[in-house]
Amino acid sequence: MISFASFPSTSEGSGSYTNTRHHPKIEEDEVGMDLDEDDFEEGTQRLTVPGESITSSHAFMRGHGTFVDDEEVIASVAGTVERVNKLITVRAVRSRYNPEVGDLVVGRITEVQPRRWKVDANSRQDAVLMLSSVNLPGGVQRRKLESDELQMRTFFEEGDLLVAEVQAFFADGAMSLHTRSLRYGKLRNGQLVTVPPILIRRLKSHFVALPCGVDLILGLNGYIWVSKHVKESEQEGEEGFDAEAVYSNKNDSIDDATRIAVSRVSNIIKVLAAHFVPLTDTILLEAYEWVVEQEGNVKDLLSDEFGETMVASLGLVPISLLTDVMHTGGF
Amino acid sequence: MAAQLVSKSERAYIQASLQATPPLRGDGRGLLDFRTVLLETGVAPLANGSAKLNIGKMPHEGGGGTEVLAATKLEVEDVESGDGVDGGRVVCSVSWCAIRSIQLEPIVQLTKDSSPSAYPHLSSNALDELQYDLTVILQQTIGHPSLHPQNLTIIPRKKSWLLNLDAVILADAGNAVDALFMAARAALWDTKVPRTRAVEYQAPEDSQTTRDSASAMDVDNREAIPTASGFDTREMARTAADFELPDYWDEGEVLHGRERWPVCITLNLLPPSHFLDATPPEEASVPLRMHLMYSFASPSTPKLQSMRLLGPGELNSAQIKSYISEGEKYARELFNALESKLREEDVRRNVKARDRFAQR
Repeated sequence: MISFASFPSTSEGSGSYTNTRHHPKIEEDEVGMDLDEDDFEEGTQRLTVPGESITSSHAFMRGHGTFVDDEEVIASVAGTVERVNKLITVRAVRSRYNPEVGDLVVGRITEVQPRRWKVDANSRQDAVLMLSSVNLPGGVQRRKLESDELQMRTFFEEGDLLVAEVQAFFADGAMSLHTRSLRYGKLRNGQLVTVPPILIRRLKSHFVALPCGVDLILGLNGYIWVSKHVKESEQEGEEGFDAEAVYSNKNDSIDDATRIAVSRVSNIIKVLAAHFVPLTDTILLEAYEWVVEQEGNVKDLLSDEFGETMVASLGLVPISLLTDVMHTGGF
Repeated sequence: MAAQLVSKSERAYIQASLQATPPLRGDGRGLLDFRTVLLETGVAPLANGSAKLNIGKMPHEGGGGTEVLAATKLEVEDVESGDGVDGGRVVCSVSWCAIRSIQLEPIVQLTKDSSPSAYPHLSSNALDELQYDLTVILQQTIGHPSLHPQNLTIIPRKKSWLLNLDAVILADAGNAVDALFMAARAALWDTKVPRTRAVEYQAPEDSQTTRDSASAMDVDNREAIPTASGFDTREMARTAADFELPDYWDEGEVLHGRERWPVCITLNLLPPSHFLDATPPEEASVPLRMHLMYSFASPSTPKLQSMRLLGPGELNSAQIKSYISEGEKYARELFNALESKLREEDVRRNVKARDRFAQR
């Protein structure tokens, strides 16, 4: 029922910090090698840690995640080195969500303001959802009335979760969202799981329906909505657009099997995220099938060895190098 | 704890799952299951006792979970001047780490921000209130006279130890109060009171030499002094005026009655069921929470040291009674697990110290 454990030791054995640790695959002489311009070819991923010198500042310009010291471009975060022409940036392994126009995000309303909502979308600033960017009852073409402004809480209120698309940016870098699609809007019938945003890959569709009766919305900001499956035909249609259904706070009746499946999928996501596996629909599906084969309890999933066997059995071992970088370079 | 925002549908989903038969939780745990608790004592080298505790950290991951750091520091207080209390005092405080973001620029700089990393969404007023609430709970329970350790006296009626217990909530992922009390108990368990030896101050008895002429210096005229009057209080001051530490390398002895320090168990009440170790969305979805602090000085007779009922819901006295007796069962289990872990930690640290010594 309750079990205690020790914190994982940061240094294996004593005195390991006195020796520099390298990934076993990296030869000693390779590490000390100076970097030429050819090292920044497109398509090759290079990992770096804070304080590591990337290149000379004469040949390249410093971008985000780097600084210049002693005529060298030095990484200030752990992550992958990216190059656009002469601009060198480091994309941090762990950071807040960097929005791009067209991204699908899941957010939570934090504040209701005149003609707009503030939305927490795991970014540096709260996102903004304008009243003019949501579908209102009565059809898409309807004009916004003063009465709508007075009853904004009937659409979204504080704490509500929604799925939306990044529409544009404001001058200060805050993103503006819109929900002008039938697939976007308020979320119900499920629970939220949070993972580091970098783990969400860009997919053809971020609405994933697993065959176990669970729908997933993989927000690019790292918020994942796990919910009961809603049939395509039963989704709120264009003609029958009624505010009752779209802005409802009531859950449908959900049977226990679906609830268990939702919990199981949530735990799979948590375990994969803990092992730093990038999430795609195929990986999630494989993992779910593997877990069902094992016939384990839902809570067993969160145990250490079970997670490791799962990740190993899926043939996913991308973590070794990346976590090494994170543990040595991260805080 | 600090109310996390949840939407109405999330709340309804959590409540319906908990009330289903069999009850389900979002992460598949049973109602009475705790997440894994990680504990380490002796984390702060400058403190007299310290502990770090984490509930619900995911393996491999850098962060996650409720994390609490607790440390005790002993301070000498003068009883006569009115600062201290004879027999020593215990003062508790709870705070949070105010370092919000750590950036590595050419030099590492720590940016301080008014809102802490544990509760970034709260306003500073709400933070102050929360801090005060937690401090009061800890102070009233830990600082209660029935739990007062006996060995905080250095010199009776003169000098005593002031035991400062400081807890820092580094992150809150639910069930912060239980974590706070477990960390506090671990830190107090770990506390070592330095051994002291009273030093007697021998006043130069030939005080009248100043009055006498220099020629009388070498004359032993002690017998000539009239006996001191009853109003002369110098005699009392002469016995045990100060103390010294006999062995500076020794950490000292443990606090007396360290088995007595209480543990807290939080029952999250969603009538008719109740559950333990809630996550923040679960905390936000239950109408009532009950903190029960139990002390197991003698295993047969547990003592309910204090109790808090939070939330807008209501309970009748029969229900409260049954919850108290249920809570005792859970608290005992928590206590036993924590106790064995603490003893394990003691052994581990002793071995480590011995190894360090052998390496020299």
